[in-house]
Amino acid sequence: MPPEAIPLAPSPEPLAQPRGALTITDLDKSFAIGGQSRPVLEAINLAVRPAEFVSIVGASGCGKSTLLRLIVGLDADYAGEIRLDGERVTGTSLDRGIVFQDHRLFPWMTLEQNVELALLGTDVPKQQRARIVAEHIALVNLKGFEKAYPHQLSGGMAQRAAIARALVTEPRLLLLDEPLGALDALTRVHVQNELQRIWMAQRSTMLMVTHDVEEALYLGDRVIVMSPNPGRIRRIVEVDLPHPRDRRHPLLHRLKDEILAELTAGPASDAGNNLVRLPAREER
Amino acid sequence: MSVPRALPWQARLMLGLVPPALLLAWWQSQAQAGGARAAVFASLATIGVAAREQIASGALLGDATATLTRALTGFGIGGTLGFAAGVLLALSRWAERLLGPLLQAFRQVPMIGWLPLFALWFGTGDGSQVTVIAVSAFFPALLNTHAGIVQVERRFLDVGRIYRLRAVQRFRLILLPGALPLVLTGLTQALSFAWIAAIGTEILLGSGGGLGVTLQTAQTEQRLDAMLVTIAVTAALGFALNQIIRHLRARLLHWQPVGA
Repeated sequence: MPPEAIPLAPSPEPLAQPRGALTITDLDKSFAIGGQSRPVLEAINLAVRPAEFVSIVGASGCGKSTLLRLIVGLDADYAGEIRLDGERVTGTSLDRGIVFQDHRLFPWMTLEQNVELALLGTDVPKQQRARIVAEHIALVNLKGFEKAYPHQLSGGMAQRAAIARALVTEPRLLLLDEPLGALDALTRVHVQNELQRIWMAQRSTMLMVTHDVEEALYLGDRVIVMSPNPGRIRRIVEVDLPHPRDRRHPLLHRLKDEILAELTAGPASDAGNNLVRLPAREER
Repeated sequence: MSVPRALPWQARLMLGLVPPALLLAWWQSQAQAGGARAAVFASLATIGVAAREQIASGALLGDATATLTRALTGFGIGGTLGFAAGVLLALSRWAERLLGPLLQAFRQVPMIGWLPLFALWFGTGDGSQVTVIAVSAFFPALLNTHAGIVQVERRFLDVGRIYRLRAVQRFRLILLPGALPLVLTGLTQALSFAWIAAIGTEILLGSGGGLGVTLQTAQTEQRLDAMLVTIAVTAALGFALNQIIRHLRARLLHWQPVGA
């Protein structure tokens, strides 16, 4: 895509109809483990503006992935409220897309069929589906691979295909659950750039969980730092830089050092806890 | 020494033919050794004559057709019902609780164990035989279909929920293709069980013609040559059936990475 075709950063003033405003109020979530209730998320309050890119970082076990599962509507067992544009979240909806760390493309479908699958539950007329699918495959730069099966794609390509599938329904909110976590370092940087470009072209709200602080800062308008056991929001960092960004910008490096110091420091409040923490498995 | 994967098919065929050729040569040497052995090992020449006779009289073709028809009819019925039952038990907890124990108990009865009962009910003709064959094909189809659907990963089912697919779409696009490798394993097994059951019931009931019936007759008449011709044809046909279903499987699972 030629650079002049890339639209500028999403407009800061809200559109006439707010699209993709996520509000989370007093959210608590616990899992029953061996008959005991163990809190995984506690007092989560968060407001994400339409077309904003928000990153969430935190150690494993801080409930980041669980939070995304709740927002996408795969798990309804929690206390508190999640609203998208004022509407309460109950179950899954085509307004909320998600990309997982594993691409979750169906191995028995071609790339094209995998992307088209997302349209089967919509009322998009059949004649238009092929065009929409082709547009989104082009958006993630996979033109020419329409007929490929997932095992014929590289990890980065498969992940971009998963992004295309998630975007094809034009969700107001796209959730990204460590989408680049399984990629090698070089592919990661490449897909990060792609993701930034796609977000700028698409202008939907994005909420990305990652354990890579640099990635969180490079992409996020804000970075939410979470602490584990139970998962809480520890700090919200504003990244006041326009997109597209330069990775070498000194602000990014300064913030990275700050956040890393924060993450590796002891617990915020409940001092006197065990110094050694076993990393709790994150719920998939 | 390892055999290269990408051997041309002609070479693979030649390799596969080496052991049978050696076996025949050994057989012939035994038959020519004379004495008591001649009664147990018919010479290749006499077997050849018997084969020509059976082909010329049309008996062999008739037998093969009768057995194939029975085996495939039983496979069709048992395989279809087994697949349907496997789907039902995998999708409905109630069906599994209700029917699971009974089916598990029935499965413990070997194919031959059903024969006396079915013979009493349906006589010794095609009715009993096809029923036994169908029962033999039913269980491998059921068990593998059930296992195939149950093992479809939750992360894939989540994708179906996220995109709001209807139940029918989820079944057709996610559950069925996800289960397909095991379903086909089940049907492959069902077909080979059906073939074994077809020959077995023919030997035991001995009515209506077929390869098994001819085997049984050959034994009573002490026709070693005829017996061997029939055994060879049984092996060849069973092998051919297996090859057909293997090719079908490879075609249907073309989306799997090679070597998986």
